[in-house]
Amino acid sequence: MLGGAVVLWLVVNGAFYYMSSVRPGAVDKRYARHILIGGGIILPVFVLTALLVWGLSILPDPRRPGDGLVVRVTGEQWWWRVEYWPEGADTPVVSANEIRLPVGQRTEIHLTSDKVIHSFWIPALGGKMDMFPGRDTMISLLPERAGTYRGQCAEFCGASHAWMAFAAVALEPAEFDAWLEAEAADAVAPQDEAAQRGQEVFLNEGCGACHAVRGTPAVGLVGPDLSHVGSRKTLGAGRSSMTLQNLEAWIAHTEDLKPEVKMPSYDLTGTDLADLAHYLNGLK
Amino acid sequence: MTDDQPKRREDEAEFSEEQSSLLKITMAPTLWAAHFVICYALVAVTCAKGWDFPTVRAGLLVFSCLVVGGISLIGWRAWRQWNVSETGDFINRRGRAEDRHHFLGHAAFLLSVISVIGAIFVTLPLVFIGGCQ
Repeated sequence: MLGGAVVLWLVVNGAFYYMSSVRPGAVDKRYARHILIGGGIILPVFVLTALLVWGLSILPDPRRPGDGLVVRVTGEQWWWRVEYWPEGADTPVVSANEIRLPVGQRTEIHLTSDKVIHSFWIPALGGKMDMFPGRDTMISLLPERAGTYRGQCAEFCGASHAWMAFAAVALEPAEFDAWLEAEAADAVAPQDEAAQRGQEVFLNEGCGACHAVRGTPAVGLVGPDLSHVGSRKTLGAGRSSMTLQNLEAWIAHTEDLKPEVKMPSYDLTGTDLADLAHYLNGLK
Repeated sequence: MTDDQPKRREDEAEFSEEQSSLLKITMAPTLWAAHFVICYALVAVTCAKGWDFPTVRAGLLVFSCLVVGGISLIGWRAWRQWNVSETGDFINRRGRAEDRHHFLGHAAFLLSVISVIGAIFVTLPLVFIGGCQ
């Protein structure tokens, strides 16, 4: 597509340069007529017909049934609730704010929304699909190359719409299976003293009322599941990259980083904040 | 007064001929527009009512072929009316009755070309998309 655009650009501008600089002046009427009819009617008709045929031939792809795995995504203000339903599963693998897909397999993404209309869009993998409260929509995606792509909410959904993004990670099938197995497991126990203290801060501050960390008393469902938050590429639904420094900034300045978000900024400082960030970062 | 009679009859004949040419100009785009409305409306109703889509699709494809054929026929007749292959006059800028006649053929021909392209473009989704999804 880009190649075609480059060729057209070169032809049009090359012709303009030729006519205006290399060979200025009047040209033979017959020659001019051929250029006009050939370049202005026949060529565009062929190019547009070819593009239309190609576009229509791939148009049904996002509606094709998947190869087994179903991912359910619910749009929240302003994050993504994600559930993986492998073929035949009774319970989902719960995650949030990141979509992982196996390369070479068509995956059905079932979409809905909590309160307002959102739109699910990973430009590198396919078109966008709206998410409506109380209605299910579906788009199926077939990643062809492993890599990390950016996903974005494409329907204005409130103050932090622009900050409602995610990373879409396409993995080789074996790698994906291993990741899904790890994602299905409970959160790892704190690995050192600082993480242990961080977990205490997490539970004492009441974070578990909104967030779940599986395998701990934190079972909240209001906000994103944090069981494996440290393994995600981004923080706050694509707001920042996942680093210790960004985790601290997020916890202490949530409302500044994501206007009108439900999570309040926490007045934590010093070791409490550092330990909490360290604990969350360790939840791989 | 008597001298004017043949001239007036000639004018009237000429006028009625140009009137039919004017009508010919509108025929190709009208067919294209009607084809567009019928295709989209019938597919929408078929999908909403759950009618048999393959049958409707086959019927619309046949209808589309007839429309494309009809527009092509109008285009062919307009091409002959324009008569550029014999006169070599693309623009017909002189104001004689013959020039007006050729010019109307020219306009009808160009409209037929764009209408046939439009009708084919409207038909292509029917060829490639075989369902209501």
